[in-house]
Amino acid sequence: MAIESGQELVRFDGVGLTFPGGSARRPVEVIRQLDLSVQAGEFVAVIGPSGCGKSTLLSLLAGYLTPSSGRVLFRGKPISGPGRERMMVFQQPALFPWLTTAENIAYGLKLKANRSDGRNVKETVAAMLQLVQLDGFARHYPSDLSGGMRQRLEIARALAVDPQVLLMDEPLAALDALTRRTMQREVLNIWEKTRKTILFVTHDIDEAVVMADRIVVMAQRPTFVLEIEEVRLARPRLREDDKVGKVARRLSTLLE
Amino acid sequence: MRGLVPPRSAIRLIGPLTVLMTWELAARFGLVNTLLLPPPSKALADLMVLISSGYLWKALYASLFRVICGFALAVTVGVTLGIAMARIRLINDFFDPLVELLRPISPLALFPLAILWFGIGDGSKIFVIALAASFPVILNTFAGARSIVANLVRASRSLGATELEIFKGIVLPASLPFIFTGVRLAWGISLIVIIAAEMVGATVGMGYMVLEAQQTFRTERVFAGIFVIGVIGFTTDLGFRRLRRWLLPWYRETEA
Repeated sequence: MAIESGQELVRFDGVGLTFPGGSARRPVEVIRQLDLSVQAGEFVAVIGPSGCGKSTLLSLLAGYLTPSSGRVLFRGKPISGPGRERMMVFQQPALFPWLTTAENIAYGLKLKANRSDGRNVKETVAAMLQLVQLDGFARHYPSDLSGGMRQRLEIARALAVDPQVLLMDEPLAALDALTRRTMQREVLNIWEKTRKTILFVTHDIDEAVVMADRIVVMAQRPTFVLEIEEVRLARPRLREDDKVGKVARRLSTLLE
Repeated sequence: MRGLVPPRSAIRLIGPLTVLMTWELAARFGLVNTLLLPPPSKALADLMVLISSGYLWKALYASLFRVICGFALAVTVGVTLGIAMARIRLINDFFDPLVELLRPISPLALFPLAILWFGIGDGSKIFVIALAASFPVILNTFAGARSIVANLVRASRSLGATELEIFKGIVLPASLPFIFTGVRLAWGISLIVIIAAEMVGATVGMGYMVLEAQQTFRTERVFAGIFVIGVIGFTTDLGFRRLRRWLLPWYRETEA
């Protein structure tokens, strides 16, 4: 049931989202009339003013939230809840602190829902450890890992259940500048090796230009898609590159 | 020079040893009334008598039996109720006011009532211990089950976990450090309550032994009893700390 690269995988169809108000709070309209289509195998970055609802977009796709109007479609079907074909990678890694690196990766594979896969847990864990270069740290607990390593582990745990799309919510925002650049290369590396579709929310315009095939620019809240920029530059891209800088400058004027 | 520095554990013995030596000498040279403050050597000699006559074991057995029964009841009820209160609103609304009303009452205030209900033997002691020791277990378990990071549950749900798998795989392990703290506090309370209860009304036990020694003016036996009670408290708490390192190797105290 593999989906061909280039086929439509995700579709936001006139999506609106309003958080209902409480006794002391007014209802908040976060998203209004959002349309977006993502192809299988694509690397799409999402940028926009802080607090505009970029993360909310991913939560809708993950199935943690349901739209108030419109539809969010995955492979043509409306999303009805969380599922392992759409894995979230959180900004603050949501690793299980009581499990070692290897056990964190194995957790998803051992769940009842995934046991019938016929995938060998040991082999998959080993492959994932290698993919994210954590080979020597299988028995370490998350608290013993550095920030960059935790983020790689989070990616490995998500990839272990073989999702079709990775939803990355500012995954590198908590890292220092140097680790961040290394991790950008790492994520691209993983993307090229696995060919997973990636939706990558970031507030760093340069990061978006260096990494993505397409960049979705979101408007202020209530948000919608302001513009979509296609980045036709060959990889690897450097943020010092003039062509990268030109795209980044154009996008940043859009956001001002 | 470095080779001459004694280990820290040896240095830490200096304080207690100094106090013991001063005490012993003061008693031997008649600087204090030995009827009220017998030398430690005399207390030690009496301890030997208590051991060889078997009287100590009888008292210790009676006390520890009551403590372990009451403590086990407190942990069982406390963990169950704490989790139920954290997860089910109706149960919380029913039990929370009861817990808050009963908690400030000194457990010993209930002891006369307990004797009426359960007699002068083991029953009354087990009852007060179970009651007094269940509060820290309930409150800590509740806090633990309520403090679970939402993204851990989300990640787990995306990976395909059922509600039961989330409970066993996330809620329980995440609460465990809190539960453990509650259990350790409960044990300390059990040890305090049993001695006091046995001094108020009992025919055998460590508390009874100390009180009887005081009433027959055998001060050295009072000290011998206090010493044994202290050793029990110290070693069991040490045991709990070891147990935690073994049960929760991933847990870092500073992070909580």
